[in-house]
Amino acid sequence: MNADEFLDITDVVCPMTFVKTKVALEDLDDGQILELRLNDGEPIQNLPRSLKDDGHKILELANNADGTFTIFVEKGGLT
Amino acid sequence: MIKLTNEQLERYSRHIILSQVGGTGQKKILSSKVLIIGTGGLGSPAAMYLAAAGVGHIGLVDYDTVDLSNLQRQIIHQTCDVGRAKIESGRETINALNPDVQVHTYDEQVTAANIRDIIHDLDYDFIIDGTDNFPAKFLINDACVLMRKPFSHAGIIRFQGQTITYVPGESPCYRCVFNEPPPKDAVPTCRQAGVLGVMGGVIGTIQATEALKYILGVGELLTGYLLTYDALTMTFRKIRVPHNRRCKICGEQPTITELVDYEQPTCDFKR
Amino acid sequence: MVIKVNGENLNLEKSLNIAELLMAVKAAQPEYVTVQLNGEFVERDDFPKIFANDGDEVEFLYFMGGGQRD
Repeated sequence: MNADEFLDITDVVCPMTFVKTKVALEDLDDGQILELRLNDGEPIQNLPRSLKDDGHKILELANNADGTFTIFVEKGGLT
Repeated sequence: MIKLTNEQLERYSRHIILSQVGGTGQKKILSSKVLIIGTGGLGSPAAMYLAAAGVGHIGLVDYDTVDLSNLQRQIIHQTCDVGRAKIESGRETINALNPDVQVHTYDEQVTAANIRDIIHDLDYDFIIDGTDNFPAKFLINDACVLMRKPFSHAGIIRFQGQTITYVPGESPCYRCVFNEPPPKDAVPTCRQAGVLGVMGGVIGTIQATEALKYILGVGELLTGYLLTYDALTMTFRKIRVPHNRRCKICGEQPTITELVDYEQPTCDFKR
Repeated sequence: MVIKVNGENLNLEKSLNIAELLMAVKAAQPEYVTVQLNGEFVERDDFPKIFANDGDEVEFLYFMGGGQRD
């Protein structure tokens, strides 16, 4: 899948994972896609739900098998 | 549009998480300019919370020095500041709290001759009345009405406090409710009647809340409402006040078109 | 009859005008109080002429100034 922006948040912990993602999405237009690389554990457990609560759509979620996950999220995809 | 640094994302993370704020709202706060007239019981907490919030430019107006009796409530100042100019003590506290904030100080008392220039200096977005006397309160009201600037009025005494917010063209002003200043010494002051120190904290922080809501464009402001607080009974009341058609400055036939210096308290120039 | 003054119920035997009401509640410094009757301001000159009737809501708003160096 092609993304409009890529954000690696494996270097931060919650809630900074959500904060950085949220700010990155603000810079996109509705319908654009953000690719995220995030850690297993709290981030992958919390982030998808927080993004859905904000009205964004998770298009794809993949386990990279190296302790990280990749998510493709569409800005405003649920509104 | 400014880009938030990693440090700012962390510093303001609890703001950014809020759906009504986000990175967009935090950038608005960082770009905003708030003038605080009086760094005393009300101005102290207002200035500190606005600094913590990241208001980019904070103006402090005060010509007074820190007195020991101030420290019971004017928490922006500390014991080591007794004798220092309040604006310097205030500036230091804010700088230590948040280096994102630029502090602009005005070592003067607001008068009809200087208040316009002070407000114009940075063309402040919002003004907070943290003063402790009626001539200043009416002057600030009149200046904001004539210059079309939003502001928060407030007052505290004993165990009570009240506040009202003015947004030009949308709400009653302070004079709509209280037409004229009372005669000098007619109404008790904190020096005479006393005040529980925390009263400034509660009401001053509400003033800061109103400023932030105005900047962000969220929530309902205290426009057209006098919020009163009685700490003894722990009662807040929100009293609807209408625009006064007979108001001397914003009514249908205004008689006040120029700023006026009402009689000021004696011992003005204490240093 | 019952009226509300500053949010609290007040029982009255008969209708009082604003000036009388200010005395009845022992308002501090009645000469500087702002009065609202059912949400509308009452002019000071009208205090003796305007009456509060059953079910009316009166607000007495007071100056609060601050510390005031003197």
